[in-house]
Amino acid sequence: MKRFSQLAIPYIIWAVIMLVLPMALIALYSITQPGNSIISFSVTLDHYIKFFTDADFLIVLWRSLWIALKTTIICLLIGYPAAYYISRCEERKQNLLVLCITVPMWINMLVRTYAWIGLLSEGGLVQRVLGFFGLGGGELLYTEGAVLLGMVYNFLPFMILQINTALCKMDHSLLEASADLGANPIQTFRRVTLPLSIPGVINGITLVFLPAVSSFFIPKLLGGGKYFLIGNVIENQFITVGEWNFGSAISMIMAVIMMLLMMCVHRAELRNQGGKEEE
Amino acid sequence: MKKEKRTAGKLLMILMIVFFYLPILYMIVFSFNEGKSLTTFTGFSLRWYRHMLESDDMMGALYTTFSIALLATFLSTMVGTVSAIGLSKSRKLVRDLMHQVDNLPMMNPEIVTAIGFMLLFITFRVEKGYMTMLLAHIAFCIPYVILSVMPKIRSLDPNLADAAMDLGATPWQALIKVIVPQIMPGIVSGALIAFTMSVDDFIISYFVTGGGVKNLSIMVYTMSKRVNPSINAISTLMIVIITIVLVLINVVPLFVAKRQKKAEIRKRKVLVPAALVCAGAAGLFVFFQMGGTKEARPFEGETLHIYNWGEYTGENILADFEESTGAKVVMENYDSNEQMYIKVVNGESYDILVPSDYMIQRLIEEGYLQKLDPSRLDCMDKLADAVKGLPYDPENEYSIPYFWGTVGIVYDKNKVKLEELEREGYDIFLDEKYRGDIYLYDSERDSFMMALKALGYSMNTENQDELNEAYEWLVTCVQTMKPEIVTDEIIDNMAQGRKALGLIYSGDATYVMSENEDMGFYLPEMGTNLWSDAMVIPKNAKNPELAHAFINFVCDYDGAYDNSSYVGYTSANREVMEDLSGEGGDFEGIDAYIPRTGNELDEVFVYNEKIRKVISNLWSRVKIAASNAS
Repeated sequence: MKRFSQLAIPYIIWAVIMLVLPMALIALYSITQPGNSIISFSVTLDHYIKFFTDADFLIVLWRSLWIALKTTIICLLIGYPAAYYISRCEERKQNLLVLCITVPMWINMLVRTYAWIGLLSEGGLVQRVLGFFGLGGGELLYTEGAVLLGMVYNFLPFMILQINTALCKMDHSLLEASADLGANPIQTFRRVTLPLSIPGVINGITLVFLPAVSSFFIPKLLGGGKYFLIGNVIENQFITVGEWNFGSAISMIMAVIMMLLMMCVHRAELRNQGGKEEE
Repeated sequence: MKKEKRTAGKLLMILMIVFFYLPILYMIVFSFNEGKSLTTFTGFSLRWYRHMLESDDMMGALYTTFSIALLATFLSTMVGTVSAIGLSKSRKLVRDLMHQVDNLPMMNPEIVTAIGFMLLFITFRVEKGYMTMLLAHIAFCIPYVILSVMPKIRSLDPNLADAAMDLGATPWQALIKVIVPQIMPGIVSGALIAFTMSVDDFIISYFVTGGGVKNLSIMVYTMSKRVNPSINAISTLMIVIITIVLVLINVVPLFVAKRQKKAEIRKRKVLVPAALVCAGAAGLFVFFQMGGTKEARPFEGETLHIYNWGEYTGENILADFEESTGAKVVMENYDSNEQMYIKVVNGESYDILVPSDYMIQRLIEEGYLQKLDPSRLDCMDKLADAVKGLPYDPENEYSIPYFWGTVGIVYDKNKVKLEELEREGYDIFLDEKYRGDIYLYDSERDSFMMALKALGYSMNTENQDELNEAYEWLVTCVQTMKPEIVTDEIIDNMAQGRKALGLIYSGDATYVMSENEDMGFYLPEMGTNLWSDAMVIPKNAKNPELAHAFINFVCDYDGAYDNSSYVGYTSANREVMEDLSGEGGDFEGIDAYIPRTGNELDEVFVYNEKIRKVISNLWSRVKIAASNAS
């Protein structure tokens, strides 16, 4: 049996080259100056200092985190009830609804985001419908609202599916037990359903927040050139400015922030589990 | 009360389904639109589908997307499954460590992973293209496969394989006949995730691709600036393919299950549709790949790699060139000289580039271009005098002009009076009357040109104070005027009259004015940028001979006519320029088409590395300031 462990060796080598080395390269680029050869380079923290001493970059970082947070909250507020509703349907309907939510995810994100351009642009359907209800006026495309909408549209399915999975895994006899013991539906929800769905919520939050922070095509397509998020700054450094070292430093900063946030979330999850059951 | 809740839930569900499917439906509907608009439906037509089918670019993108997805799914599923089995039997330390490593692409922001891959390929000088894209896709898919296979392995009885071997199975047999069937559901769902991730991927593909290889996402991203309903058509096609795949995977088993109601089919449940899908997909690819056989032509079977501005070629010129030479043209697009420069410097190989004046000077100075071979060129005497022998390449040793023009202000005659423009010049971009009603162009050079000219300085200034003043001018502009900073989006938007004013290239203005009579073009007396874009051949070009043939083809009357009449930029071919602007020409009476001559304040950009860096950084700061102001 042990000999099967050798099956992992090729992958370990591959993973070192394809997954670990790239991160090491980013780290290396982020602390060196351009023009250094691999043999001789000097270490510098200039790129990090440049980022953290410039209010403009910090505002962009803050805005990226903020819009990602807003996206996550909206997804959670819409996604939870939706997932809850789905999980309470009969099985056939459940499968159908899950399929309905999965299908758009199979269609390319860029394509789906692009589709909103036509809907939101001036004289487009959304504006006409809003105008019909007397809410017209104002631009829709190339605003922060459009970016937020694009993000919710792209990432909401992740939230719903994750929460739904958690809710479906739940043992339904627990609900009956809770009711038998005299809890009203609201109490049952608060004391039984909600805690048990927390792992799904946390997975959902991760799957929404993470891509939302680093997204750069949604702001570019729906926000026009003027809505800069941290992902756009990085893209800009690599594609048009050509300062790869600085771009790498921003990437590192972003990766570290994400890692810290994920650790916090993970810890919260552990505490949650620890309190409820001794798995 | 319970009932109410159900209705509320139902309503939420309906709204959500509408939300999810409305854009998709909208896109499908507009892919059949006769007109170019994305907002008004003018009639049913299949022209965008024809357009799509005729476009090698689009069909190529579709092929790349699905072939990479299938290959990456297959390989990552195999490797992932085997590795997961191996890892499950490894020591705990190894297992935990590898778990962390696997988490890297899942927990890192995608853009960071993408940059990591890009740096990896560049550091090891792997030529970016199809292979690198495939490798990257495999790399980010495997962790998902492992993640979905691992729990199934964990739930297996650890003695299963031993039992099989005790009964005489070889380890291999134990693996294939005992373990794999048990974890099949995990493998299948892993494969599905891998396939979805790969088809959906944009960010990683965008950073690791090269050599003109694009998947659908990259294509949409680079084409999305102009209204192009063919994108809707190809998206619709993609949706149809995906829907067929999904229906096969989800519905077929339902039917089968209904008919047989036996647990035994479980195994076949996914295998049959999966096999069907694979066969169907393979058939499709064979279909796409089968080009008609062609008779011998001078460059039969060769490939020309062009790196050009987006929306910068005529409708038929590439196809005509392919037709007449037998070569295949692969074109990649950029939207700034700087973007092009970075790729060229990092060793990507192209046969033709179309940089602007100052960038040509830079590429010559830094030794990235090769001299043209005059014996292979027959185009010099067809060119307009004004574009020959410009300062960046006085003898035209390296470059042959493509388009040329100026940078000016496009304005809506109903909103802006000519007298205002004459009085204020570029300072009209600081006139609060037009707050929120202007476009700036996302080009560091031209934005600084505008600011410097507005302040009365030379656009080639090396004076730091003047540059800082220009920077302040631009920051004031973006902070008080709330402009949109766009590139090609300005064209369709101004053609629809969406804003009052915009900084624009003369060629784009020509197009705008030919579409909308209310639009005018004004060149401030303060001077402008007299620019020209020219074709050059990089030193590392793989096929210089074919590149020379292409240059001749573009300069020839037919090629130049197609280019200029379609794009709207001023042709470098004298005769074409005269015909298009003359009586009965496409651009008769449109002053933007003929570049201004004789204003002493008009300049040509000169390249200066130090100043370039300063401007590049300042402009990136202006954009961030703009974004922070809104």
